[in-house]
Amino acid sequence: MSDTEATRYHLPTGAAGLLTDGDMGGLRPVVTLAEAVPFTVLDCFDQSLREAGLLLFAARDRLDLLLPDGRDLSQTGAAGFVGDLPEGPVRDVLAGIVSPLRHLLPVGSGELREGTLALLDDEGKTQARALLHLFAGTGGADVLLATPRGLRGYDAALIRLRERLIACGGAAVEGDALYRALFPDFPLYTNKPALRIAPDETAFQTARAIIASLIPVLRANEPGIIADLDTEFLHDYRVALRKIRSVLSLFRGVFDPDQTMRLKTRVSALMTPTGRLRDLDVYLLEREQIEDLLPEGLSGGLDAMFDLFAAERATAQARLAKHLQSGRYAREIEALRKIFSGGKALRRGAHADIPSHDLACKLIWKRYRKICRMASDIGPDTADTEIHQLRIHCKKLRYLMEFFGPAFPADAFAPLLKSLKKLQDSLGLFNDYSVQQASLRAFVSDLGDHQPHGIAIAQSVGALIAVLHRRQIEERDRIIGSFETFSSPQVRRAFHDLFHREDAPS
Amino acid sequence: MKIIACYSNKGGVGKTATSVNLAYALAARGKRVLLCDLDPQGASGFYFRVKPSKKLTEADFFEDVEKFTKAIRGSDYDNLDILPANMTFRDFDVFLSRMRNSRSRLKKALKAVKGDYDVIVLDCPPNISTLSENVFRAADAVLVPVIPTTLSQRTFEQLLDFFHDHDLPVKKLHGFFSMVQGVKTLHGETMEALRSAHPKRFLTAQVPFASDIERMGVHRAPVMATAPGSAASHAYQALCDEFMARVEE
Repeated sequence: MSDTEATRYHLPTGAAGLLTDGDMGGLRPVVTLAEAVPFTVLDCFDQSLREAGLLLFAARDRLDLLLPDGRDLSQTGAAGFVGDLPEGPVRDVLAGIVSPLRHLLPVGSGELREGTLALLDDEGKTQARALLHLFAGTGGADVLLATPRGLRGYDAALIRLRERLIACGGAAVEGDALYRALFPDFPLYTNKPALRIAPDETAFQTARAIIASLIPVLRANEPGIIADLDTEFLHDYRVALRKIRSVLSLFRGVFDPDQTMRLKTRVSALMTPTGRLRDLDVYLLEREQIEDLLPEGLSGGLDAMFDLFAAERATAQARLAKHLQSGRYAREIEALRKIFSGGKALRRGAHADIPSHDLACKLIWKRYRKICRMASDIGPDTADTEIHQLRIHCKKLRYLMEFFGPAFPADAFAPLLKSLKKLQDSLGLFNDYSVQQASLRAFVSDLGDHQPHGIAIAQSVGALIAVLHRRQIEERDRIIGSFETFSSPQVRRAFHDLFHREDAPS
Repeated sequence: MKIIACYSNKGGVGKTATSVNLAYALAARGKRVLLCDLDPQGASGFYFRVKPSKKLTEADFFEDVEKFTKAIRGSDYDNLDILPANMTFRDFDVFLSRMRNSRSRLKKALKAVKGDYDVIVLDCPPNISTLSENVFRAADAVLVPVIPTTLSQRTFEQLLDFFHDHDLPVKKLHGFFSMVQGVKTLHGETMEALRSAHPKRFLTAQVPFASDIERMGVHRAPVMATAPGSAASHAYQALCDEFMARVEE
């Protein structure tokens, strides 16, 4: 966007005084600024708002949202889940950007003075104005933001106003510049760290770099799990752990086999204490959906069941928080970080020096062909266990493609990843239905006789299992359809062209 | 879109002050408002410091969509635009019917420039003419300020007669008492008489005689903007609420 058409201008500190310096072709510039009020910038932990170029802040018991297109929205509300905000324009926009599972958290705070720069004519009529936000972040950074607001029929005055803003050093606000200017020390976070894979990079280098980039993701999510801010902290933590484990098993022979085995055991040991809490999170998050599955007469036992889950979740959360704060955990995670930080502790395997690109082609092509072979046998009579196997293979293929993505041209890569994702969605649902049935059965058999609502719970859960079973069968048909696409000649050809190498190392 | 005419067949009754504050109050509650200053003496444009446009006197004004939309000026307040005075009204009915017709070029031009308006407030000249008749036909409601004096009582009844004579729906007329002075017995008696003679035609809300309103000429801004806590502002707010509830019924 050119500076003459910008929706917002970022001005240097101290420019406020220059804005009113002298007449502007018969128009008199006037700045009014309100008293300073405290403000707190909010975002969810994965920084979706920063990435979208939005600035959300709480001030005067309201939430204000500055959009990249120059709109300012405001409504009552405070930090929390977007779904818990009162209806309003800010909530409407946030709902499209922030995950409903994520809690809005403070990024930083400071003092804000709001005001206007107005260009007045000889009658005292405003012909153009800019809304001013003078932010003083507690990090010491000051930001002056000017948002032009033209008045109908006074186009010439708006041009003058923009000229003045530019003359005072104003430049178009781009992306997350504002956020970073306000809180320069605020750590930027992403749960999918972007890696570059150099053409001559070895498999050892790539595998090490992937794991090294995932360990900070683990660390970044620990405080949110401990404080129990939202369930996504644990989810992201587990995904990062699972990816680390996948690198260890998929890059076979790249690291020393004995060390690989020990590392896999250590990573699994980190995963184990998180499992029960995640299961309970999933049940409780799906509460509404599950309740909708049952007719009213049969849902009576569900409340009692969810109460039990909620109570157990509190215990599981406290236990995990304690674990993550323990000295043993701190030492273990630090030891793992050191191993992958580039020193000599990580030992090389037989395939350490294979070029990454070649290894990627080999692994992806092999995995894809295996999936196609298995998929061709899938039919109405296929056992659930085989579909689960397929799901695991697809997941491994997905990780491989994500790990090695940077080594391939994006335009050829993206459509393949997309068709894989679609297939995985179906497989995931199928698996969820299956796992839910199993765990509900286990839950009922563990209830014991002393449970006061035992019979009601058992009735509800029995009905629920029946519903889940029906859904699982429906999903199976969908999976067969998705596989047909995924193993179609076109997709096969695309995988072949991108990943099949006649001279690939065996 | 609603078209609201602020009209009185007698001058000096607070008509322009009403147009200005009604438009302001509607804009403040989020309605997109166009205030058309059709009264060459009323100067609702003056209260918003908008300079009258010389170009607007041309006869083909309403024919020329571009000229019309170009003449509109943003006020100092959000959602409130002004069409300044000094125009000839020969083709005003054409203008009004175009505002109504969603397919008209005028409406399209308005949309293209800055969205549609929710409410158009017409500050009308104080006489009964062909223009007034057109306005009465086009408007959804006609807001009539009445000073509670014998003379005003007569002019209000003349207006009712005019509506009857021209087959205009009387229920469009919404009178309210303006420049009311509580200490004057005559005011009280006249209000009572008018309310009982025309029970459905008068709003409950009334606007007092207030120096805050007179000072609008000095401040050149709606009293609701300069003295939002004043009795006059509260009176205009109540008037706007009650009137709009009737219009939107």
